Amino acid sequence: MKPTGWRRALIMVAALALVLTACGDDGGSGGTVEGGECETIDDVRLQLQWFAQSQFAGYYVAKDLGFYEDQCLNVEILEGGVDIVPQQVLATGGAEFGLAWVPKALVSREGGADIVNIAQVFERSGTLEVSWADSGIETPEDWAGKKVGNWGFGNEFELTAAINRFGVENVELVGQDFTMNDLLNDEIDAAEAMIYNEYAQVLEAVNPETGELYQPEDLAVIDFNEVGTAMLQDAVWVNADWINEEGNEDIAVRFLTASFQGWIHCLDNFDECVSVVLDNGSTLGQSHQEWQLNEILALIFPASNGIGVMNGDLWDQSVDVATAEIQELQGVEISDDVYRTDLAEEAIDNLSDLDTDGDGYERRDIELQEGGN
Amino acid sequence: MTGRDDLEPGNRQIGAAPALGVEIPLTSSRPATARRLAAVYTPAVVAFAAVILLWEGTTRLLDVETFLLPKPSEIITSFVDTWSTVWEFGFRTLWEAFGGFVIGVVAAVATSFAAVRWVRFREGMLPIAIAMNSMPIVALAPIFNNWFGSTNVLAKMSVAAVVVYFPVMINTTRGLLEVDPGELELMRSVAAGPTETMRRVRIPHALPFFFASLKVASALSLIAAIIAEYFGGPQNVLGQYIINRANLFQFPDAWAAILVASLLGIAFYVLILVMERLAMPWHVSFRETE
Repeated sequence: MKPTGWRRALIMVAALALVLTACGDDGGSGGTVEGGECETIDDVRLQLQWFAQSQFAGYYVAKDLGFYEDQCLNVEILEGGVDIVPQQVLATGGAEFGLAWVPKALVSREGGADIVNIAQVFERSGTLEVSWADSGIETPEDWAGKKVGNWGFGNEFELTAAINRFGVENVELVGQDFTMNDLLNDEIDAAEAMIYNEYAQVLEAVNPETGELYQPEDLAVIDFNEVGTAMLQDAVWVNADWINEEGNEDIAVRFLTASFQGWIHCLDNFDECVSVVLDNGSTLGQSHQEWQLNEILALIFPASNGIGVMNGDLWDQSVDVATAEIQELQGVEISDDVYRTDLAEEAIDNLSDLDTDGDGYERRDIELQEGGN
Repeated sequence: MTGRDDLEPGNRQIGAAPALGVEIPLTSSRPATARRLAAVYTPAVVAFAAVILLWEGTTRLLDVETFLLPKPSEIITSFVDTWSTVWEFGFRTLWEAFGGFVIGVVAAVATSFAAVRWVRFREGMLPIAIAMNSMPIVALAPIFNNWFGSTNVLAKMSVAAVVVYFPVMINTTRGLLEVDPGELELMRSVAAGPTETMRRVRIPHALPFFFASLKVASALSLIAAIIAEYFGGPQNVLGQYIINRANLFQFPDAWAAILVASLLGIAFYVLILVMERLAMPWHVSFRETE
């Protein structure tokens, strides 16, 4: 029996209310955020370098805890992947902000991608070349005649720079997949690993000889920071044409403010941050994301000039290694205009009552579980 | 009805000729003068040149970004600059493709003969072959890398072999089976056994099908090898080179490598053509058109 009269009116009103609240929560441009005084909300996209994981905790926290909303931004976070190259996404207008390592971005710029570094978030490199402790590989010279794995795509520059610099001969460079299986199966003698990710994946695997998880003592690690060919990594890049458009610098400052706020929040709210990352669908589990966040924060903090503000000396050092050792950049003049600090500095000023240096940060002990659970 | 024009009235003696061991050369023996060669190849050369000029012109005129579409001049420059590298990598990849091709073809021909000889085998084999054909390369590559080890060349060869197997097996089987019943009757009437029939009737009949499938397989094997390389393994090969260059925005380099892959593919195809010509000088397709 069809509802009549006031019943029908009630249903219509309820339906209308449902539609309106749905539209309201949409937060599309022109909408208003609940409880805020935003005139307009700007839609922006952030292209990550990899799948959702603690490496990007600051951005996920900024989104889930409303820091972006407070800045009148609606940020869509685009997960990365094996074939997704953030510099390309930026150059072709697929996102407003992208995360990329400095050497990769410099080479992409040589290939025609006009992108600018607006915030150097990571101050230290996390790249390692990992071998078994009994392999005898302790310095780059020991790679001679060995199978040395790397991921290609520009991730190998610190490694190839070390090989060049130390004149290591007869190295067979092998493309690894993004697991440590090739090392675990002894297919290669040395594997590329990030201290915050793949290195932990080995420690989360069971040693068939002992039945226990592998221990750090089972591995010999070459750290590119110590070798001297480390280069700057995760930074926020933008398309040069986009940032020069009217109003976009303001959007960028707001984006950085909220993003930095997210990272700083993790200094004192470690467990909450890990939960946010897990909620956003990270592939590996709790203990792995804890390990990762622990190491990532150590790459960001302490931040010499405040989080995201480029340290000129570190930039110069990276550029020196890059132009000396990367084939595509040899003889290339890299101007300081490739990065800017003004936007990040403004963001830091907006957060003046927060701990933007993270001077007191210290790593904690994380116990890894099998498979990273 | 059978679609074989060498069995049409007037040509019948040609089809029967191989079965009776008589070879009648069909190609006329006019010398290949320079003028005739030019007449044959000129249209192709002109078309090719026109495409290149159009490409260069359009990218220059519209000022197309290099990372969207490089100009042919940029690609040639890169090709010359990276000459030794791309050819070294290319031959390594070709070796993987060729090895896989040989393995796949041998397996295909062996199972083909078995399928002709034993009906049960044929009925059992077909679903498996179809299933193998449906397996996407991108799924096979990481699996074979795991089985054989990513640095083992067999990992890449296996991918090529699987991809090559089905077209060759299916076409060879068809060629061996779909013989004119009249010829089979002829064989029976002279008391020829299955082996004789195979040698004198089925195999010559199957050769055109076999070589047609080889032409397809040659390209497939090269593609399979390159894609398999994407998934890991030594980096001094074409597949790894292409993706690494592309991901670093060095597109002229990537295109130069693609050019090498094309040239190698063409060379492989020509090799098959030569083998076909040697194996079947009597075949209809080598008759010159007037």
